[in-house]
Amino acid sequence: MLPDLWLIPALPLAAAAITAFLGPRYLRQQSHWPCIIAIALSCVLSLFVWNGVAGMGEEQVAVGQYYSWFRAGTVDIGFSLRADALTAAMLVTVTFVGSWIAVFAVGYMSHEREHNAGYARFFAAVALFIFSMTGLVLADNYIVLYAFWEGVGLCSYLLVGFWFAKPSAAAAARKAFLVTRLGDVGFFIGIMLLWSSFQVPTASGGWSLEFDGVFGHAKQVAATNPGLVATICLLLLCGAVGKSAQFPLYVWLPDAMEGPTPVSALIHAATMVTAGVYLIARSMPLFHLVPGVLLTVACIGAFTALLAALIALTQTDLKRVLAYSTISQIGYMFLALGSANEASLVAAAVIAGMFHLITHAFFKALLFLAAGSVMHSMGNVIDMRRFSGLRFALPTTHWTFLCGALALAAIPPTAGFWSKDEILGVTLHASHSDVPGAWLYVWLFAVGLITAGLTAFYTFRAYFLTFHGELKTPPEAGEHVHESPGVMLWPLRVLAVGALFLGLILGPTHILAHFLEVHWFARSFPGLHAPEGGHDIVLMVASSLVGLSGVAVAWWMYVRSPGLAGQLANRVQTLYQLSLNKFYVDEFYHALLVTPMNMLARVGRVFDTYVVDSLVDLVGHIPRLGGQLLRPIQNGLVQFYALAMMLGMTVFLGALVLRMVR
Amino acid sequence: MTPLSLHNYLIVGAALFALGAIGFLTRRNLIIMFLCAEMMLQGVALNLVAFSRSWGNMQGQAFTLFVVTVAACEAAIALALFLVLFRYRRSLDVSLWQDLREPDQEATVDDESLPEAPKEEPMPRLTPAGHEPKRPQETSPV
Repeated sequence: MLPDLWLIPALPLAAAAITAFLGPRYLRQQSHWPCIIAIALSCVLSLFVWNGVAGMGEEQVAVGQYYSWFRAGTVDIGFSLRADALTAAMLVTVTFVGSWIAVFAVGYMSHEREHNAGYARFFAAVALFIFSMTGLVLADNYIVLYAFWEGVGLCSYLLVGFWFAKPSAAAAARKAFLVTRLGDVGFFIGIMLLWSSFQVPTASGGWSLEFDGVFGHAKQVAATNPGLVATICLLLLCGAVGKSAQFPLYVWLPDAMEGPTPVSALIHAATMVTAGVYLIARSMPLFHLVPGVLLTVACIGAFTALLAALIALTQTDLKRVLAYSTISQIGYMFLALGSANEASLVAAAVIAGMFHLITHAFFKALLFLAAGSVMHSMGNVIDMRRFSGLRFALPTTHWTFLCGALALAAIPPTAGFWSKDEILGVTLHASHSDVPGAWLYVWLFAVGLITAGLTAFYTFRAYFLTFHGELKTPPEAGEHVHESPGVMLWPLRVLAVGALFLGLILGPTHILAHFLEVHWFARSFPGLHAPEGGHDIVLMVASSLVGLSGVAVAWWMYVRSPGLAGQLANRVQTLYQLSLNKFYVDEFYHALLVTPMNMLARVGRVFDTYVVDSLVDLVGHIPRLGGQLLRPIQNGLVQFYALAMMLGMTVFLGALVLRMVR
Repeated sequence: MTPLSLHNYLIVGAALFALGAIGFLTRRNLIIMFLCAEMMLQGVALNLVAFSRSWGNMQGQAFTLFVVTVAACEAAIALALFLVLFRYRRSLDVSLWQDLREPDQEATVDDESLPEAPKEEPMPRLTPAGHEPKRPQETSPV
């Protein structure tokens, strides 16, 4: 039994409206209630959707066609939602993680509670984000998906710039919005190309962009015009790269850490940044027709994973380490999706990507929230050089952070281990296919394995620096360092359980794999058979050894002999500086793109003030000049007016008489 | 006795109108100006009556009755207004009221000053009636 699909986005939307309009005046310090209740209800409904989808037949899908959104010429776009296995998995993840993060935010934003408007604004934006995100995954056609896609971008902008009085936060919000917009332009052009070239007819005689129709036509179009499908896929990839912070558009995500930590957890780790992965997974019926594009996806993913991991090695800001690890982990998801270069691998690739998406949502949200808890206790200090040895001062935060770190480092049997193992497995399988360029996947696999080791190292570097060593706290933390309140610790505990056991529940039991195969794959790829996936024991042992050795190296360098890290940094000063300065990518972009754009803007401004404005001013001056000439006539003397009237009349009558006489 | 021909009336009307116009433009006393305006009005009214009689059409005469009625109303209102204006400036000079000119225009000042008004004789006053007249204080003979 499926609930009404529209309720899932509608509830958070209602909460956002209530909080925005009533929050500052009436709800005040209770502004979080509508948001939390609505997201929790959406979560319950999402579980019903999962259950309902699981109860449907193989090729069925729940579609809710609500109304015709707009019609223009031959386009006929309906506001329609659909639920299949991909959607259900995303929905449950988003709303479940989202509700716990909202609970955490009540404690984290307690300083903000005194300023009523800010508190209400925060929860209104969070509810609006959940509305957009659930709408994004429920959308049944590309236009509705794009609308919600921009919606999550807007919420990200609002929440990154939450402390907009801070110049760095305002700049970060602007950067996040503009950089993702760069990708979105490509995405939109891709949608337009889809519309103009696929021409999927609807019942009412127009063309639509509904997923089923588009994917049904894909094979036919690819047979006649393979270049077109490749172009469309590359343009869709553009949007995904922007939103999911992949190379070369990843630069906005580390800066987005200026937002409040629950926002970093919710939007910039667990949910919104995975929208790109979801887009590619959803469009897989298009992507799998062009193996070249899939190879691009995989290369971008692997390269981003490695680059971000290398940068994360030396960062000193705890939240930034986590931000780079997010970029890196999403790179893994792209690598997984890109490995679907053969029909038999499509199911396994998407399952691996989605599996990692789900587990990553749990453990990365957990890590961010734990970092937020540290930040809360340390008086908003997040620089790891300024505190250490917090494991006894913040016991619960310490344990939950450790759970998240283990999952991120992919130590068995935590969640991250199972999903990362599946990704590496599917990459290895892709290298065996006979598609041109398949040999590259061996290298991508190697990059993935190396990155796994680096991930374990930098994660545990952050863990050891923060929680081990001598107790050291910054002066901002106050005299007595205290653990965060319960409202912040319970979400940590719940997510920690998820980070530890979710992989075990979904992975080896094939629950997720079976769910996606039956209720998404079978319908999207009719006629294709998904081979039974198995776990490669050798690979499992290898990847866990890599992960463990990363942890061991971190332990050696930061606990056993703490001076070693500094010596090593001095030894390879160039590499250290490269990593510390994020490979100068920001500076490169600044010199190559931002500075010329600024120059152009400045030229435009000069042109505007001196040429356009003066022209407009000139037009404005003409009536004024006329007025200047005529003004003396208005001198307020009654007799002058009377004289003018009389003279005028005389002239008029004189002319009349002269005309009559002549 | 032959009836006067039309143009005789018209000449009188035109003369009245012209005199009124000249007076309106040259005099600065508000009441005089108003009387001049009335004179112009009557010149026009005379025209109407003359034409009406000449053509044997009663409309012109009916019109004139209205003109006279309206003029009477005007007179009542105008005199009330002049009274108020006089209270503000203690003068009936029209050139003292130039406030409705453009804001940045200089006020027009007449080079020739007005002739000095003749000194008014104080009005004779009667002793107030109905009061007990003041009497010298009575002193009691001791």
